Amino acid sequence: MKTYFKLFRQFILRAIARDRARSVITVLGISLGVGVMLAIRLANATSLDAFRAATESIAGETSVQITGATGHFDEMMLSRMEWLRRYGQPSPVITGYARAESGEFLQVMGVDILRDRGLRRYRLLRLNADESEPTARRFLLLLTDPESIILTEKFARPRGLEIGSRISLTMGDARREFTVRGLLLDEGPARALDGNFALMDIAAAQWAFNRLGRLDRLDIKLAPGLDADQIEAEIAARLPAGLQVARPEEQYGQVERMIAAFHFNLNALGSIALLVGLFLIYNTVSISVITRREEVGTLRALGTSRSMVLALFLGEALLMAIIGAGVGIGLGRLMASAAVLATSTTVETFYIATVATESASRHSVGLLEVLLAFGVALPLALFAAAVPALEASRVRPVEAMRGAERLAESFKPSRKYLIVSAALFALGYALSRMDAMNGLPVPGYLAALALMFGGAFLAPNALWLACRASRKLAARSFRGLQVEGLLASANLGGAIPRVSISVAALAVSLGMMIAISIMIGSFRETVSYWVDQTLKADIYARPLVRTRATGEGDIAERSIAAIKADPDVAAIDSFTSHQAVYQGNPITMGAGDFDVLLAHGRLAFKSPADARSRLKQSIGRDAVVVSESFSLRFKKQPGDRVEMETEAGAREFEVAAVYYDYSNNRGIAVMDRATYERHFGRAQPGSLSIYLRPGADAEAVKERLARSIGSEHMLLFRTNASVRREVIRIFDSTFAITYALEAIAITVAGLGVLSTLIALILERRRELSVLNFLGATRGRIRRMIVIEAVLIGTVSQAIGILTGVMLSLVLAYVINVQSFGWTIQYHLPVAFLIQSSLLILAVTALAGLYPAARALKINALRFVREE
Amino acid sequence: MRDEWFCEMKMNKKVMALMILAIIALAGLNMYGRRFGRDEGFGEKYESNCEDVSSSFILHPSSFKMAAPDSASEKSPTGSTTLQSDSADSNKQPAGPSTNSKTWREAEPSYRYSFPRDHASHPPYRIEWWYYTGNLETLDGRRFGYQLTFFRTGVAFEPANPSRWAVRDLFMAHFAISDIDGKEFHSFERINRAGIGWAGAETERYRVWNEDWEARLDGKDHLLKAFEGDYQLDLRLTPEKAEVIHGEDGVSRKGASAGNASHYYSITRLRTGGRLTVGKEVFDVEGASWMDHEFGTSFLEKGQVGWDWFSIQLDDGRDLMLFELRRADGSIDMHSSGTLIDAQGRATHIPSTEFSLTPARPWRSEASGASYPTLWQIEIPRYGLSLSVSAVFSNQELRTPDSTAVTYWEGSVTAEGTSKGSKVQGRGYLEMTGYAGRSMGAILGNDE
Repeated sequence: MKTYFKLFRQFILRAIARDRARSVITVLGISLGVGVMLAIRLANATSLDAFRAATESIAGETSVQITGATGHFDEMMLSRMEWLRRYGQPSPVITGYARAESGEFLQVMGVDILRDRGLRRYRLLRLNADESEPTARRFLLLLTDPESIILTEKFARPRGLEIGSRISLTMGDARREFTVRGLLLDEGPARALDGNFALMDIAAAQWAFNRLGRLDRLDIKLAPGLDADQIEAEIAARLPAGLQVARPEEQYGQVERMIAAFHFNLNALGSIALLVGLFLIYNTVSISVITRREEVGTLRALGTSRSMVLALFLGEALLMAIIGAGVGIGLGRLMASAAVLATSTTVETFYIATVATESASRHSVGLLEVLLAFGVALPLALFAAAVPALEASRVRPVEAMRGAERLAESFKPSRKYLIVSAALFALGYALSRMDAMNGLPVPGYLAALALMFGGAFLAPNALWLACRASRKLAARSFRGLQVEGLLASANLGGAIPRVSISVAALAVSLGMMIAISIMIGSFRETVSYWVDQTLKADIYARPLVRTRATGEGDIAERSIAAIKADPDVAAIDSFTSHQAVYQGNPITMGAGDFDVLLAHGRLAFKSPADARSRLKQSIGRDAVVVSESFSLRFKKQPGDRVEMETEAGAREFEVAAVYYDYSNNRGIAVMDRATYERHFGRAQPGSLSIYLRPGADAEAVKERLARSIGSEHMLLFRTNASVRREVIRIFDSTFAITYALEAIAITVAGLGVLSTLIALILERRRELSVLNFLGATRGRIRRMIVIEAVLIGTVSQAIGILTGVMLSLVLAYVINVQSFGWTIQYHLPVAFLIQSSLLILAVTALAGLYPAARALKINALRFVREE
Repeated sequence: MRDEWFCEMKMNKKVMALMILAIIALAGLNMYGRRFGRDEGFGEKYESNCEDVSSSFILHPSSFKMAAPDSASEKSPTGSTTLQSDSADSNKQPAGPSTNSKTWREAEPSYRYSFPRDHASHPPYRIEWWYYTGNLETLDGRRFGYQLTFFRTGVAFEPANPSRWAVRDLFMAHFAISDIDGKEFHSFERINRAGIGWAGAETERYRVWNEDWEARLDGKDHLLKAFEGDYQLDLRLTPEKAEVIHGEDGVSRKGASAGNASHYYSITRLRTGGRLTVGKEVFDVEGASWMDHEFGTSFLEKGQVGWDWFSIQLDDGRDLMLFELRRADGSIDMHSSGTLIDAQGRATHIPSTEFSLTPARPWRSEASGASYPTLWQIEIPRYGLSLSVSAVFSNQELRTPDSTAVTYWEGSVTAEGTSKGSKVQGRGYLEMTGYAGRSMGAILGNDE
């Protein structure tokens, strides 16, 4: 052991220190890989933890919850549920969101404090130490005034609010003034949303949220000793139609499923970076072995065992992996916040957005994450280093002393690799035909992986072809490049096995970039086409604040009347929605005015062909049009029937048509307003599409409406053009994370080319020295090496384009459909492909300059003397 | 008697000041009250008249408990006199015409009772309670005591919020069973807003409820129901005497000023039968109950720390109600009084000067730390009554942290003694308040 460390210090550490640049690049590569992986994991954990914590702190000791089909229900139904008392006292709840003038959001909960204190812990800040905890009655009396509100100390303190302060909150489309009547300590529900929580009396909350006569849910804490599962079943059996019973944890499960697909995609992309990092390890250790071949020989001659040599090089890999993983942990921590932000906007759950971003900054890397980082990086690093390290251990003492150092055997074109490639491509195709597993596109990603490896195995043959081609090309080219070209081709051609690995890694990265770019490009085209087709209204209106995460109806009748009264307004299509559960999955149920839609608007229908007349027929009938994602997720086609929970219990609806929608990947089912109101009761719309008379100036009407309605009913008006801009903006920001990952992958791969060439040059020290000695100018040698780099780049890009296009097909038609359920009109961005190819050539040429400089520094004399 | 009253009043400056403020407040409320009577058509009987107020004054101490929300509302969020008013609020409000605001009605003389209507609720008044106690026995002689009380206290006279959950009144209830032979005391409490009908009190016919606890009229009979897990009560009470209206001219005065009063009556003897569930056992029981019903507005008496209240049904057919108010300085308030009801139901007022109460045999509650006398000697020389009243067992203490937040002792008692020399026995209920925690006066003066 002692000898090992001594040798390790002299033989490995010294070398690492000498070759700092290479070491730093390798460590950076690993740390990027580890960092991305950890960031996604942390982001995932943060979002879910935050949501879980918020759900739990809000749920308190609630064992079961009763909710309505529409997310709320008629409060008089309570009088038919006196029997619930047997299980525990039900506490009625109203929840919603309010926006403070600062723009911050508060989760507002309206409860009957007399009941709710049994379920949740509310501790009021006491002004005098001797004041006792207020009784239920006194607590209630704090809240009975409609303008009373209790905030958390955590929220109030930094904002200078105290008991008695006034606060203005926007709820839905109305702004209301409240008086702070008390401050909650950081316990129980007050912890939700990091203190952005407000408590109101249930009556005041009903009034403020415009939900008189309705309740959002009943929370029940079961009497001790009752089994929640059994009671849940008992309650479910007795509940009036239109009501459902659930456990608070189930809500959490739904969100978990919602995020899972998204994070799975991120994780798959992130692992690319790790793969490239491993490739770097391989390269580094290879270089290490090449440069120290003689020394290894000497060591062996002096009696060092093979296993000792093996251990030395593995130790090098291990050391780099350890440092890389360590740096990666810190990096992952930094990147996590960005990833959380990306998740939150994608998941479009406001709930998570607010909490997660706050807590992400505080989320610390736990022991588990550290173990994971090392647990992934170290074995893989050892694996990557095993090949070169074994090679080193096989060096015969004499061989090294003699200076024979050809590591790579020459390559003969072989069918072997082509057959493997073909088999992998076939496997990829087969996998791409498979269904998603548990809603996760696992086979899709496996198909992508198979295609990538298939592409990688093309590398040796492709490289051989390229070398031959370039030799012929060089022979015919003008004098200035002839020799360099021929030499470069010969050089690469002679090192195909080694270079192939670099080419394969680079090709995989480029292929990913190309695939993702094609997909994003296609998606963007599709969405802008869709927006063009479907966004026909001139002005869109929605409340400034959505009082619920799912966009409940909030626009008051009087606002609609005021808009209708405008002389330039021709028609209004109002849209109401609520979050529903279909077959255990969250979906959106909506209502629109089909008449107006048919007359003025347009939906892009996928099927059937006569969708418009189907839509017309569906008015007045129990029929829905569903979004494409709904149709795909639940395998429903026009003519099929879907069973939905309504206020009066489960009802069947006919699927009239399927329409394209890119706004929501959970699935939407829309029915005509009259049908909706028949089944779900009256509901105010959550958004309006306003059609103007021909010739009206949308901008001017918007201004006028905003003036006449704006200040009192906080409605946000947007013209058609600005909505389109907004859609594209949201779209672009959603995909920002994929671009970022792409940049990482390509950077690391670029570094790979650099180190591959360095390895090659070190391997060819003698040849280069001889060349130099024979009179090759510095310019010649530089040109030769740059040509080699460009050759590598070209072959990589060629394979990259091939696999990229195949991958993009898998992404668009398999992975996307399985995880989002959207149709993407495939669009091949030819200009982009040409441009990226040129870019790659430029980057690889640049990457060749540094190895060239290294080559020129070789002490020619020394090697020539040896020869 | 009234002169006497005023004389003593002068000695207490605090009480005096309070009285003056109350008078001022009343002037405004009075004018308003008349208007309300006409506008709302609640009944001619609520019309006030300006006749002099009589001296007769009976106060059921329980009403003090209910004064709590009044003072609470002083701190309550509304702070608006249009929605509510109480003595504290009215102190701040200048007396004068406040006819444009709707508020709680004061008890005023000339109230003409009409039964059974007056058993039902009186929403124009802020405070109202229905109070049942009784001693029951199974066929084989196993004895139980029970208490079932419903409270209604107004919070906002006309809530601005149209929601059903808007709190106009708070409904509270206490339920206790004394297992006399088992020496076990079981007490429960409820507090609810009306909401969708979880609790309430009807105005046309008598029915008051708090979830599944209920008291209502069935013909002349009162039906009581209370369920709390293994402790249940289901009783039918048949009045054996007519209602005794306390005070004079339909009003029972509580303070020196004309308006500080309530409407208060009792049915002192109701033949009772029904079923009790105690633990896992169900008992068919019979016995006698006592019912009180009082409604009015707020009345605060600072300086009073608590009271001791007796309701005793004697075996000679007479019923006795007595209470004394204890002052902070240890003295007995001169507002203490009682009523003696003969077998035919005729009532005689007993002023504080005519009786004496002597406590003995203190029992200390482990739970609250309070020490209650469990043996009392009652002397009423004028009627030759000498009674020794003792608790059937000591621990009959109610702690009501969730509803009224008052800890008090309310339990079954037996009485033994002589009436003009001949032996007399009786059973009844004893209520003792102000022995635990903050003094009653302080509680009444500050929120709870």
